[in-house]
Amino acid sequence: MVLDPQLIWNGLVVGSIIAVSALGLTLIFGILNFINIAYGDYMAAGAYVAWAVNAQVGLPLGVAIVAGILTMSVGAVVLDKLVFQHFRSRSPITLLIVSIGLAFIIRNFIRAIWGPSGHFYDLPMEANPSFLGVRFSVEQVAIMVTSIVLLLGVYALLRRTRIGIAMRAASDDRMLSRIRGVDTEKLVLYVWLIGGAIAGLGGIMLGLDAQLRPNMGFTALIPIFAAVILGGIGDPKGAVAGGYTIGVIQEASVAIIPSEYKFGVGLLALIVGLLTRPDGLFGEATR
Amino acid sequence: MALVDLLLVVGIIAGVYSLLAIGMNMHWGDTGLLNFAHAAFFAVGAYTSAILTTPPATGDLATRVVGFDFPILVGLLAGTALAGLVGVLIAITSVRLEGDYLAMVTLSSAELIRLMIHNEAWLTTGAQTLKNIPRPLSGMVSSGGTIPVSYDVFYFVLVWAIVGVCYLLFTRLSHSPFGRVLHAIRENDDVPLALGKNVTTFKLKSFGIGAAVAGLAGGLWAHYVYAISSIMFLPSITFLIWAAVIIGGAGSYAGAVLGASVIVFLRQITRFIPGDVPFGDQLAYIRLMLVGAVLILVLYYRPEGLLGDAERLQAGTSE
Repeated sequence: MVLDPQLIWNGLVVGSIIAVSALGLTLIFGILNFINIAYGDYMAAGAYVAWAVNAQVGLPLGVAIVAGILTMSVGAVVLDKLVFQHFRSRSPITLLIVSIGLAFIIRNFIRAIWGPSGHFYDLPMEANPSFLGVRFSVEQVAIMVTSIVLLLGVYALLRRTRIGIAMRAASDDRMLSRIRGVDTEKLVLYVWLIGGAIAGLGGIMLGLDAQLRPNMGFTALIPIFAAVILGGIGDPKGAVAGGYTIGVIQEASVAIIPSEYKFGVGLLALIVGLLTRPDGLFGEATR
Repeated sequence: MALVDLLLVVGIIAGVYSLLAIGMNMHWGDTGLLNFAHAAFFAVGAYTSAILTTPPATGDLATRVVGFDFPILVGLLAGTALAGLVGVLIAITSVRLEGDYLAMVTLSSAELIRLMIHNEAWLTTGAQTLKNIPRPLSGMVSSGGTIPVSYDVFYFVLVWAIVGVCYLLFTRLSHSPFGRVLHAIRENDDVPLALGKNVTTFKLKSFGIGAAVAGLAGGLWAHYVYAISSIMFLPSITFLIWAAVIIGGAGSYAGAVLGASVIVFLRQITRFIPGDVPFGDQLAYIRLMLVGAVLILVLYYRPEGLLGDAERLQAGTSE
């Protein structure tokens, strides 16, 4: 079967977006132990803030991106203090449902401010160059490069810094790490800062690759979840591996099945993965 | 619109949502299953009944090829049955999974079904609306007809009669031996397993029954609004029903009906605030934000919901 390099390239780009977003989600899950359905809407919010700064206020895209990331980073902490913190002692299912309520609020807030129709970032229109038969766009290259930089950065953070090591410890076994003196509340702050920033960046990349719509985050959430769970929930490298896997499979599947169903591929990968390797690709799920 | 007419319409919608909530309560309140696929069962019921009772249009723009002219009762029953079957199929892929995973798989399955409805235009008219769905007894019920009440009054009575029947059925089921096993499963999978019950079969049955009643709701909905499209069956419907069940009190069928009615009331009643109020344009979104906020507040201050039972709070936790 000939695998079209264009599809593989598209898959890597989409995979980057999914991998980065899945990383943020899995880090949050690892420390806080619940699935945050509002994460998709954090991504959307980041994308929209960046859009507002870029297309409505007129600042260059770079500034807009930084603004989007910072807003969601701080925003995630604020939302935690306002909402999730009060439910810290409750069951993960309650937190899941609370996150659903929050997702409703954020998504409709976006609709209320920016309207339900689609938007695009304010970018110069250029013909897409071609390299070895694969058509690519500047945005796609930017997405890939940014993703790789971010993934390396988070890897370094988790492996080399005290905070990172503490995060991994708390993610593996919260009680044990507290016994060893890790301040889990401070970790929660860090994980929201990092996770929120990643969500904002993921959303912006999604908006760059496709389009901005109020439900963009929620729609993307399914492949992202598939990646998180496939990679083993709580396992950062699994989330990344899962993200690229799903991205490539999803885009490559267009060669065999109608393209409207490509999201179904993520679902199938998820179901197959859960039934055959419930602990994730690397067997390191932390639940 | 006269107030009575408005209340009738809101009441009909509340009835349909109550049926959805009753089904969801069997999944969540009775069995502790995190089902996020409910909108799909609603859709399957609606589309099945619509397709079976509406011959395809024959204009130039018609895309649908499949259509029949069966009586509405056939459509409703088929919709209910097919939704139940789809429920069992979705459940087969997911009931052995833990709570959060079950949620994600059911959510994805529902989206997949919605995608199919959206894309297979030969069957469902795809992205366009499926129109001209017949309304039951529409010839006979009108001010001058054989049954001299307005159509909305008739439909209101019909829907709520069905809600009443289902309420009785489901509460009986809940207190039956079947229901007791479900409750045991909700608390902890291991105990009924140790007693020799086939937990998976019970979960599948629970899923199927709850899905079937959602399908019935879908059929009733389709025949009232007489035009449907895939946009009406987004996951946000599932989440609204969740909010309804939680706010009303998980585990209580009366709570499910109450919660559904509250949510519908909240959403529909703000529709009729005059448009020149500040933020008038955004009212639709503010309504939904309100639902989200109420959900969070209820979970915080009264997690057992309005009519729920504090013991059942622990239900469904996967730990």
